[in-house]
Amino acid sequence: MNFADLARELDALRAGTIDAIAGAPDTAALQALEVDALGKKGALTAILRGIGGLPPEDRPRVGAVANTVRTAIESALAVRRTSLGDVELAARLARETVDVTLPGRPIRRGSLHPSIEAMTEIARIFEQFGFVVHESPEIEDDLTNFQMLNIPPDHPARDLWDTLYVDVPDRLLRTHTSPGQIRVMQAMKPPIRALLPGRCFRYESVDASHGFEFFQVEGLMVDEGTTLADLKGLLDQFAQAMFGSGKRTRFRPGYYPFTEPSVAFDVECLVCGGPGCPACGRSGWMTILGAGMVHPVVLQYGGLDPERYQGFAFGMGPERISMLKHGISDLRLFMENDVRFLESFR
Amino acid sequence: MKAPLSWLREFVDVELTADRLAERLTLLGMEVRGIEEHGVDWQNVVVGELLTVERHPNADRLSLATVTIGTGEPLTIVCGATNIVPGQRVPVALPGAVLPGGRRIERTEKMGVLSNGMLCSGDELRLTGDGDGILILDSRSPLGAQLADLYGDVVFDIDVKPNRGDALSIIGLAREISAITGSPLRMPDVEIAEVGTPVADRLSVAVEDPALCPRFVGRWVSGLTVAPSPDAIQMRLLAAGVRPISNVVDASNYVMLELGKPIHTFDAAAIRGGHVAVRRARAGERLTTLDHVDRDLDQDTLLIADEHGPLAIAGVMGGAASEVSDATTEVVVESAIFDPISIRRTAFHYALRSEASLRFEKGQEFRLARVGADRTAQLLAAWAGGRIAPGRIDTSPDEPVPERVAFRPERVTRLLGLVLEPDAQVDLLARVGISAAPAPGPAAKVTIPVAGGTRPLSTTVPAIDALIATVPTWRRDIAVEADIIEEVARVSGYDRIPTTLPSTPSPAFRVSPLGLRDTVRSSLAGMGLHEIVTHALISRQHVETWTWTDPTIPADGEEPQAGAVISVTNPLSADHAFLRQELVGGLVSAIALNRRRGQDDLALFEIGKGYGRRADRAHEWWRLGVALAGSFDVAAWNRPRRAADLHDAKGILEALCSLLGFASPTYEQLSSERTLHPGRAARVRAKGPDGGLAVSGVLGEIHPSTAAAWDDRVGGAILLEVSVRGLSGGAPAVPRATSPRRFPTVERDLAIVATDGMTSAALAAVIRDHAGQLLLSVNVFDVYAGAPLADGERSLAFRLVFGAEERTLADDEVEAAIASIMAAIVTAGARVRT
Repeated sequence: MNFADLARELDALRAGTIDAIAGAPDTAALQALEVDALGKKGALTAILRGIGGLPPEDRPRVGAVANTVRTAIESALAVRRTSLGDVELAARLARETVDVTLPGRPIRRGSLHPSIEAMTEIARIFEQFGFVVHESPEIEDDLTNFQMLNIPPDHPARDLWDTLYVDVPDRLLRTHTSPGQIRVMQAMKPPIRALLPGRCFRYESVDASHGFEFFQVEGLMVDEGTTLADLKGLLDQFAQAMFGSGKRTRFRPGYYPFTEPSVAFDVECLVCGGPGCPACGRSGWMTILGAGMVHPVVLQYGGLDPERYQGFAFGMGPERISMLKHGISDLRLFMENDVRFLESFR
Repeated sequence: MKAPLSWLREFVDVELTADRLAERLTLLGMEVRGIEEHGVDWQNVVVGELLTVERHPNADRLSLATVTIGTGEPLTIVCGATNIVPGQRVPVALPGAVLPGGRRIERTEKMGVLSNGMLCSGDELRLTGDGDGILILDSRSPLGAQLADLYGDVVFDIDVKPNRGDALSIIGLAREISAITGSPLRMPDVEIAEVGTPVADRLSVAVEDPALCPRFVGRWVSGLTVAPSPDAIQMRLLAAGVRPISNVVDASNYVMLELGKPIHTFDAAAIRGGHVAVRRARAGERLTTLDHVDRDLDQDTLLIADEHGPLAIAGVMGGAASEVSDATTEVVVESAIFDPISIRRTAFHYALRSEASLRFEKGQEFRLARVGADRTAQLLAAWAGGRIAPGRIDTSPDEPVPERVAFRPERVTRLLGLVLEPDAQVDLLARVGISAAPAPGPAAKVTIPVAGGTRPLSTTVPAIDALIATVPTWRRDIAVEADIIEEVARVSGYDRIPTTLPSTPSPAFRVSPLGLRDTVRSSLAGMGLHEIVTHALISRQHVETWTWTDPTIPADGEEPQAGAVISVTNPLSADHAFLRQELVGGLVSAIALNRRRGQDDLALFEIGKGYGRRADRAHEWWRLGVALAGSFDVAAWNRPRRAADLHDAKGILEALCSLLGFASPTYEQLSSERTLHPGRAARVRAKGPDGGLAVSGVLGEIHPSTAAAWDDRVGGAILLEVSVRGLSGGAPAVPRATSPRRFPTVERDLAIVATDGMTSAALAAVIRDHAGQLLLSVNVFDVYAGAPLADGERSLAFRLVFGAEERTLADDEVEAAIASIMAAIVTAGARVRT
């Protein structure tokens, strides 16, 4: 074996292996070729075993040739490996393709009831103005529900609150959240900023805008210098927060025995925005709540001196607010609990 | 109150358009609920003049009229009325006309003659009450004019508040308009020509109970001819929503609307003995009222009576025997003041509330008794040819002088937040007839009425700080300073009140009672449940079906279910006659309703109250209720339906407990609740971070018999009702942070074969009790029954996790714990599968 023979064998190994690499069908075949040619027991190692029979001066020359052969094969392997990898990845991606237009796996979605949600939203808004939430009993007495609110027995204003009575002595189902005013005043000292949400009851036939069970939110603010102008400013802010900024509001005289002066508070019709339409009775306005300055008789029943303290109260129906806000036409939907209606609020 | 604009204009000039006037009235506190254009529904009805009236050639009862409407050929019209003669001007509905009620008039053949339209009666036009004859118009009515232009009117529907009885009248409303526009009010002239025997010689009146009848004014009118009222009067009454009856009855209705003074007229021939008493009913007395109902009279009822007995229920309803009829020639006009409370009670007692009783209830101006009697007598003379007997019966002729109410102009500004000089306040008050001036004479101090009613309060201030308001006698609503302040604000206009935000101090922080409820609500909604609100008022059947056999022990700080079911003493219907003590019934009913409507898969919850009576006290308690029915998984192409079961409800509860910072709930078999499946129900409890009871209640599948009896559609529903600490008003617990463990934990699985009746909870308890301090958790991860296990055996696979805070466990520590557990399992009667 001389140098020329060995060089020829090495060149044949290079040429044969590179041809085989070009024809390798997949990365596994490529791996086998690599082992056969360059592995510990591979062809290159076998050829170089013959190096011992060469004269010492030829040995480095064979080593140099063997290195170029190794480099050439490795480079051919790398090139082929990349191209085969791309093909195989493409095939795998094609295999894994799904119909992405199918709908997703549905997640259960619940909903929050619009009456309660409206009450919660009202509370959140007034809490920004320092109001704190209180609650008072639904089964009330005549004294707190009426008399302390300046509505004596047989007062004609009692027509405004047809009442359901129960078989507990001197108890009735509260007709409004206003008795909470008395309870808060008796329990707290000014400054008072209280919000009283809750369920109320009236002897009332059910129709699209009346129910015998409904919710109300009462507000009460009493201190030494609380004015009607403060009420007007606060309610205006409330309307903007609830119905969107830029809504016009209107403050006009109303009547409640427990406030003096009394107020009705309107917001511009959310349907027509002012010119008048059937939804607002062609007035351009929708009444959203009643309010007024707490009557001196009521302040006294609350244990406060009307010469020192003054304040306002307001009351609103969350269902009415919700109806205006969400375009709900019939109050009866609120207690019917048809899930197709409830799903509007998720 | 319906107020025709034409009637208002009789007393005050109005330049404003109807819409603008309505807005101004609303802003003054007289809310206009609607504006009705009276006559807008007479389309194509015009004034015509009758040229000829002949018998119809083919029908005896019909006439053939020719009519001109000023232009074109005269029209031939067939007519059934008998009151027409040539020369009269009448309303002609031309072909194509539409009458009130949508009736269309066409050219039609009537008994062989073509009729080119119709002559209209007052009733057909809803202009008068006369349906027999053709409405004969004023001879000066222009030919061809649209009737709507001549008789059309604008009618305001005004919501007069209960404190303003004075404005339940055309004059009262005209006063408000005068306050708006500044135009002066023109009061009706009441001039009376008196003839014949004085009333005092014909009738005497004795008020036996002056507290209930402070004033009784009577007039005697004779020589009457009862007939329909003049057309113009009928038109006016109809526009105001009152049906014309006869000139005598219409006169009293007219005065009630015009002045706000209810009047009663008696047929004088029915009053026997020339003496009338105003007294309470006596035991056993009866009266047949105008509506022909024979009534037992309650002894609190105030009567107008003669010597033979009751004639009328005072202020509420007259008696049939003394009713004005066509034969009536003489009447007694009663214009009285009655006690408002007595009238209100009486009207409620007999269920006879009327326009009249409503006005009495609100209190009447004392002076009106006299004015109303005179005005009625005047109208009876004008409309029915009556002769008015000289003088009045008057049991209390002294009329009170106007009340004086002192007020502080500074208080007006202080309450309203609107700076108004005293002079400006005086000017504003003058517009509603209130004159305000400094205290007269040398008074140094003035008493200000601050509050009245059942808690009167007054204060004394230097005269220099006060004005004295003189309040017109009709304004019975103004008694204290705040009432004057409201008048100032009202007349000034609420739009002039500035818009400010409170600058007073804020109150101290307070935990919102809605806090925990809101957390629970939003979490359950996030888990896919719909929040519902059901009625607290329920039926007897609901009570009997759903009341819990064994009331839940309440969570700490929550109210117990206490006492008897409360019933409503005046229920609206049997469906809503009791107050609920549970939430599940309403939830089940909501499932039934939705299933009836084709919605099968339902997950609902409600947070609400139960109510009960213990001794003489009412109790209210908060609960959370959940109901599941149908598939809890949302079925789709990639997920099958799966019926909700007990474990879905538990999963919800467990998630909720974790969220609220409570321990995981424990379950205990519950077989004694009537409404729940005895093999599929559990009592549930969870502890709070402090070890107290945080959740307590029941869950289970609806009992098949309960479902069958209530509604077939609710079978299989899963129900949960719990008392939750903080539901009545609390905040969720603040979670304590857990640092991740630094040392590895060791997991061991144990499969335990349990025999009948041995529960998962019991086995887990055995494991916990014998595992020592190193056991961190124990959880069931598989349950198996079937071969090779014997019947009644179940294999429960538990995963145990061991660990220590500061070191890695040694194998023998865990092995020792497992050995101790296995021994205990065997002792407990189960075995460990190997």
